[in-house]
Amino acid sequence: MEHKENQQPYLQLKAIDKFFGITKALQGVNLDVYAGEVIGLIGPNGAGKSTMMKILTGVLQPTNGTLTVEGKEVEHYSTRLAKETGIACAYQDLSLCTNLSVYENFALLNVGHGLVEKPGWRKDAKKHAKELLEKYFPGNGIDVGKTVDKLSLADQQIVEICKTLMTDNLKILILDEPTSALSSDKANQLHKVVKELSDKGVAVIYISHKLDEIGKVADRIVVLRNGQTHGEVRAAGVSQDQLVEMMGGGKKEKALKGTEKKTDGEVMVEIKNLSANGLNNVNMTIRKGEILGISGLAGSGQQELLQLIYSARKHIGTMNKNGIQVNSSIAYVSGDRTKEGVFPLWDIRNNILVANFDRVKGKLLLDKKKCDESAQHWYDKLKFRAEGIGSNIMSLSGGNQQKALIARGIASEADIIILNDPTAGVDIGTKQDIYALLEEIKQMGKAVILYSTEDAEIEICDRAYIMHDGAVTAELIGDDITVSNIVTASFKTVEKKKKEEEKKSFLAQAFSSRLMLPILTLIVIFAANVMNNPNMLSYIGLRMKISSTLPLIFAALGQMFIILSGDCDMGNGYSIGLVNVLVGIILTGNPLVGVVSLIIFIAAYMGMAALIHLRSIPAIVVTLGAQFVWYGIALIICPTPGGSCPEWLSNFLRIETPVIPFPIIIAAVAGIFCWYLLARSRYGMVMRGIGNNPSSIERSGWSYLLAKAVNYGMAGLMIVFAGMAYTSTCNGADANSSVNFCMMSIATVILGGCEMAGGVGEPIGVVVAAIAMNLINSLLTALKIDSNYQTAIIGLILIAVLAFKFVIHRKEAAGNE
Amino acid sequence: MSKIKEITQKNAFIWPVLGCIILYIAITAVTGSFSIAVLSSCAKLCVFAMLLALGQMIVVTSGDGAIDLSQRYILTLTAYISCTVMETNIVLGLIAAILVGVICALISSLINVYLRVPAMITTLATGYLFYTVILLVSGKGSSIPAPKFVSFVNTNIFGLNMMTLVCIIVAIVLWFVLYRTKYGHQLHAVGQKREAARLAGINVKKTVIVAFLMNGALCGLAGALCGAYCGGANQDLGTTYFLPSVAAAFVGGTNAAGGKSSVVGVSIGALMMTFMSTFLNAAKLDVGIQRLIQGAFLVFLLVVAVSDAGKKK
Repeated sequence: MEHKENQQPYLQLKAIDKFFGITKALQGVNLDVYAGEVIGLIGPNGAGKSTMMKILTGVLQPTNGTLTVEGKEVEHYSTRLAKETGIACAYQDLSLCTNLSVYENFALLNVGHGLVEKPGWRKDAKKHAKELLEKYFPGNGIDVGKTVDKLSLADQQIVEICKTLMTDNLKILILDEPTSALSSDKANQLHKVVKELSDKGVAVIYISHKLDEIGKVADRIVVLRNGQTHGEVRAAGVSQDQLVEMMGGGKKEKALKGTEKKTDGEVMVEIKNLSANGLNNVNMTIRKGEILGISGLAGSGQQELLQLIYSARKHIGTMNKNGIQVNSSIAYVSGDRTKEGVFPLWDIRNNILVANFDRVKGKLLLDKKKCDESAQHWYDKLKFRAEGIGSNIMSLSGGNQQKALIARGIASEADIIILNDPTAGVDIGTKQDIYALLEEIKQMGKAVILYSTEDAEIEICDRAYIMHDGAVTAELIGDDITVSNIVTASFKTVEKKKKEEEKKSFLAQAFSSRLMLPILTLIVIFAANVMNNPNMLSYIGLRMKISSTLPLIFAALGQMFIILSGDCDMGNGYSIGLVNVLVGIILTGNPLVGVVSLIIFIAAYMGMAALIHLRSIPAIVVTLGAQFVWYGIALIICPTPGGSCPEWLSNFLRIETPVIPFPIIIAAVAGIFCWYLLARSRYGMVMRGIGNNPSSIERSGWSYLLAKAVNYGMAGLMIVFAGMAYTSTCNGADANSSVNFCMMSIATVILGGCEMAGGVGEPIGVVVAAIAMNLINSLLTALKIDSNYQTAIIGLILIAVLAFKFVIHRKEAAGNE
Repeated sequence: MSKIKEITQKNAFIWPVLGCIILYIAITAVTGSFSIAVLSSCAKLCVFAMLLALGQMIVVTSGDGAIDLSQRYILTLTAYISCTVMETNIVLGLIAAILVGVICALISSLINVYLRVPAMITTLATGYLFYTVILLVSGKGSSIPAPKFVSFVNTNIFGLNMMTLVCIIVAIVLWFVLYRTKYGHQLHAVGQKREAARLAGINVKKTVIVAFLMNGALCGLAGALCGAYCGGANQDLGTTYFLPSVAAAFVGGTNAAGGKSSVVGVSIGALMMTFMSTFLNAAKLDVGIQRLIQGAFLVFLLVVAVSDAGKKK
């Protein structure tokens, strides 16, 4: 819906400047957003689109210029204000908790935060999610009960978009490359959604590189180029060629460049019919003494290509199975400095030298003088702006950090240098230095592969390949390398390979269920036990067995809550000992004091969570330290083994129930309770979410600190139960005797199907695994195998389980490719 | 204030040194006599925890949350091995102990690196395996140290115990390896950021495996010495040193996230932990209060010393 004349814009950007140091990302940009209008925003790489969106969403503050909402100027614009204004953005890098199911991700936003939720909210949430998805993307076939990580990238993107659409008072919706992973029918559905929203009066800013799409969906197209608005057109009646021209493509501009053509150099890298990792039949040669550019729209497979070339360095001189042959050593210079570039704890010197310590090595040790000389050489040559080679790398500006990385690449003396977007976020002066350096490297007879997201930069290359959708769409040589040619080639359509979705066989699905492993283990071990000793099946036999397992069951459940939040409790062996003492001595003597002490204990666990979170100390270290405290208190109360189990407790555990022995009921109740809490209750979503994507949880309005404390509190509660059960088993208190629970509980949690990295809790699996663990011991005893072998067998099982998981995961990963 | 912070961050050993001084004063106060002997006896007693702590430091420095929980079992196992082999030849026994330590570490590291099992779980599991091997070996081999080696271990040179001397030499060698060789720098690079290290052309897998092997060798050495000093191997020999060594490793300035280590800091950290137990013994406190003080002191130190480095990450 186009805006009418005289219509007041809902939001206006007026003369916005955004400078990063010397770099002018935006210069005098104007944008009027009218209610109900769809704006298509296009522009070549580095035109400033994402910067503009960041200003709209309040992530960045403009250097100059004003932002008005409904005619009123807004000061101190922030993410919170953006939200209040009704601006929502669907990001390309998804902001979902991948371990939660689809509907839970939605529910995080709109369930109440109160303690009690009316029953059946899950059903409602599911229905709501299904309706939402069905409303916008009919026939999507997304199972809202599935966890997000099980969905295809396209489906994840649909979920992300729908989550954005849930925003209350939605006024402006920003879609950043929303269809990059969507098939054409899904894309059409999205376009319909955009249409509907616009009819309802929601403004949509639609960013895309797909020009045909923009033409279809937008009412008005805004072209951004070099940080400036470069024209606005009505979408109706504008051709794609015209758009390409507006972005600076199409017209043949001759750049003045004196490049001598050198195509006869020795071949350094040869690529034949490369079709892996989303690449589509790529053929390339890279020769000595040339700068080879790789360009095209970001995300067209360039990153994958560079990584594949780099990994081929292990077999120099032979063609690998992908079809890449590398003939000499390679150095890799990354533009993603924080993630894969700098070593933050080091100074400039080591950051430069790291790729080639052999050069500065004496006979055995590194030669300090040579190190300094070599580093100083590069430091002077690249004109660093810093105190000296001893300055920490993090104290430098981005551009100077990048210099260090490039110096590292050259200093490695490799013959092939890969530069992955080396000038990202680098000011213009440093850029010039870098270009001069590249020319010099070329003169040294090396081969340079330069990938850049900035099209203008490719003009310094001798030859360039332009990629789109994983395929090479053009090879440009010498003077033909112009921004216009690059832009034209970047938008050339490529015949797409069809992506097939594999259906998993039932067996494979069963194998990948987390519960399968513990249950299978239990069945096998239980059967072996019964074969050996049929009495096991009797009421009394089962009762005895499970009763002795109760402490481990609770200990493992407690450990599970901590592992769920991505941490690990190394001190629960002694904390169970402390509870054992508290129950066996204090609770027996004075119930009131006993109960209070147990509550304080749980509070102490929550305090530990706060300490770990607020002071950002690793949990392993804190829990290791805390165990001294537990142990010390336990010893003070009970220096020598003694005490007894409170009568009511042992009577309680001795309750005779018909048919099913009481301990089994307790185990089942414990497992189901924890399962209910995590998988069914509302807060369970948050408890699981923080182990996966804490920022997504916080963005949805929940407190990370509180969630972590709740997880630790639950762990404390479970440890209390474990200590009680343990007290009843040994009918006494001993600070020392429960140490083994630490290792055993970790092993049980892993066998039970949880992930060490956090985010996955499987209480039923943990209970089953605990019983299996205990049965292993009794089986070994029954078989008259030395009880000493128990530990080895537990160790072997643990390794086997994880190796099994690894193999399955690798298969899954291979299936996804 | 920020200046002080900068200094303590650069010189991780300041905290343990401070701890040592305070504890030494405390010991003097409690016993009522100023004695140098305390110093040398602590220097002697701390060697086992110190060797383990140095090994732990190397593993943790390799990054990615790596930690070795099987150290104490390796120490116990190698104590048995050394006692058994030393019946034939002392030097051979020492070599055998170190070799077995290396083999144990090799098993763990291969599982960790190639099966991608987190190091913590791997070493937890292999620890169980080693424990069973200990039980098997303890039945068959000798658990009595060779007398000659015992007297070697108890020799004093210039008032310094032989073990202390060996330890100092090991620490010096380690210092050179970690801070003056190519490998040492690569290890620290791998610990800071594995992806960046890979892109800088470092063989990450090899670097991690070698870190484990060095740790194994240190555990083996500790085992041989410990077996001799404690008058023989027993099944729980290593357990005593587990906590002090881990504590020493972290208090001494090892960055739990990897990439930063301090040979001096960790060595003094081990000494401090020994001072701590000496003080607690000398104070004739209840065992319980001893542990409580130990725990509170440790947590306090961790909050002060560790969180600085953690925050920077």
